[in-house]
Amino acid sequence: MKIVIDPTRCQGHGTCAALLAEYIEMDKWHYPILSRNQLKDSHLEAAKKAVQLCPELAIKIIE
Amino acid sequence: MTESTSTSIMAPSGARRLTLGWDSNWKTSNPEIAFAGDAQSRSRMSLSDHISNYGRIPTGFTYSLVSDSLRVANLTGRGGAKFPFYKKLAAVYQADRKKGCYIVANGAESEPLSIKDSTLLKTNPHLVIDGLVMVAEVLSAKGVYIYVKDKEAHSAVNAAIRERKERGFNEAKISIVDAPATYVAGQETSVIRRIEKGPALPKFSIDRVAVSGVKGQPTLLSNVETFAHLGLILRFGADWYRSGRSGFDSGSRLVTVSGAVGRPGLYEVSSGVSVGEILREAKAQSVRAVLVGGYFGGWLNVRDESELKLTYDDVTLAEKKLSIGAGILGVLSKETCPVVEAASIVDYLTEQSAGQCGPCVYGLPEISTAFARIALSSNVDRGISELKAVIPLVERRGGCQHPDGVIAHVRSTVAAFGDEIKLHKAGKCSVASSSHQSMLLPKKSQGNLAAASGR
Ligand code: SF4
Ligand code: SF4
Repeated sequence: MKIVIDPTRCQGHGTCAALLAEYIEMDKWHYPILSRNQLKDSHLEAAKKAVQLCPELAIKIIE
Repeated sequence: MTESTSTSIMAPSGARRLTLGWDSNWKTSNPEIAFAGDAQSRSRMSLSDHISNYGRIPTGFTYSLVSDSLRVANLTGRGGAKFPFYKKLAAVYQADRKKGCYIVANGAESEPLSIKDSTLLKTNPHLVIDGLVMVAEVLSAKGVYIYVKDKEAHSAVNAAIRERKERGFNEAKISIVDAPATYVAGQETSVIRRIEKGPALPKFSIDRVAVSGVKGQPTLLSNVETFAHLGLILRFGADWYRSGRSGFDSGSRLVTVSGAVGRPGLYEVSSGVSVGEILREAKAQSVRAVLVGGYFGGWLNVRDESELKLTYDDVTLAEKKLSIGAGILGVLSKETCPVVEAASIVDYLTEQSAGQCGPCVYGLPEISTAFARIALSSNVDRGISELKAVIPLVERRGGCQHPDGVIAHVRSTVAAFGDEIKLHKAGKCSVASSSHQSMLLPKKSQGNLAAASGR
């Protein structure tokens, strides 16, 4: 499974980076950079939470 | 006028396939190059004239016949992706089409330097429509769209559709959709959104348009010129299309030549001609540089005439890291500094961001500012190190190709004009005059680079 972020939706709030520090860093403009996107099973719950909490509905988990 | 039978039709050849019958002034000194001027002075070819020039519209194609013809003809998309068209067709054909599929001819032509698509639609819309209805039959398409740039193209296509209806043609229905005059309106996903009655803004998508395009269904989307060639290939055969000078390309293509030339406008050129041959017909003199492909294309540094011997096809151009792109050749004379021109274009493109994605919105102005430092010889080293730092933060992080296109332009400039940049480093420039008049930007968009550098 993979995490993807829709850059046209993301407004750079950074909630995702707090929840998924192992996958997401913030750039100097406070937009997320996916350092890796292959999701480990053990991180699935955290990722689902990030999907739910992203205020812009910008995050998706895909097969 | 009565319809001619196909036996009396002479297949058009060489550089007059798409521009056949436009005008008698098309002649140039090179039989492989036709000058088509611009659409302003031309009227639309009627359906009767179209049929007497090209013959009746054939029907009854199977997928395998179309696919084989396009593969043998070596037809590539004419919007800049240089992708073999039969592969695109195959992707749509093989996708899940249970809920139907769609076909879109993209005529948004958002590159300000291009006039080919709108001119083709204004003067010979039937060629484009022929190609569209032929593939629509093969794919049993649910909807067929032509996405047009302006009112004139809209009304020409509309009149052509009406003529076909009046003749009782039993073919796919075509809808016309208007593109707004923005740079991102021609991006694939912008086109799809506009057809779905949304704004013409890029949309982030994991799937390719061939799999999930209009209404989430498989969609065959290509440039309008691609469909015009397709209609002719299915009429006259792949071998006809391949005839002529040999080389890596086949058939002909439409090229818009602009900038420092005596005869700017639209040209149709046969495969195998060189960049220099085209520029000779366009009456270019003292060429300093050529922008090949458009704003998302790249630069050819013309140190001497021999650099123009390059054959105008994607395989040969690739050796110089260039590509045909949207069929644009923008010429700079020795009176214009190419680096300043490039920086002006990058500044223009920065303003054309659709403003949706952070890295594009914040990154492009930084790129533009750094690039202006190099162009204006104000601080070349600082400009270069800033570019090195910011480009990785922007590249491949937008929701569409726009920022990557800008980065490609910057990289190409730096790679092509090492000689010029060296001068700038020493605080000089090959062009004495300090006032830069852009040759390749739309008149109303002549920006202020100095302002960009101080941003
Ligand atoms: S939480 Fe959503 S909007 Fe915020 S930075 Fe992450 S992806 Fe962007
Ligand atoms: S990358 Fe730029 S132009 Fe493309 S969608 Fe995002 S903001 Fe718009």
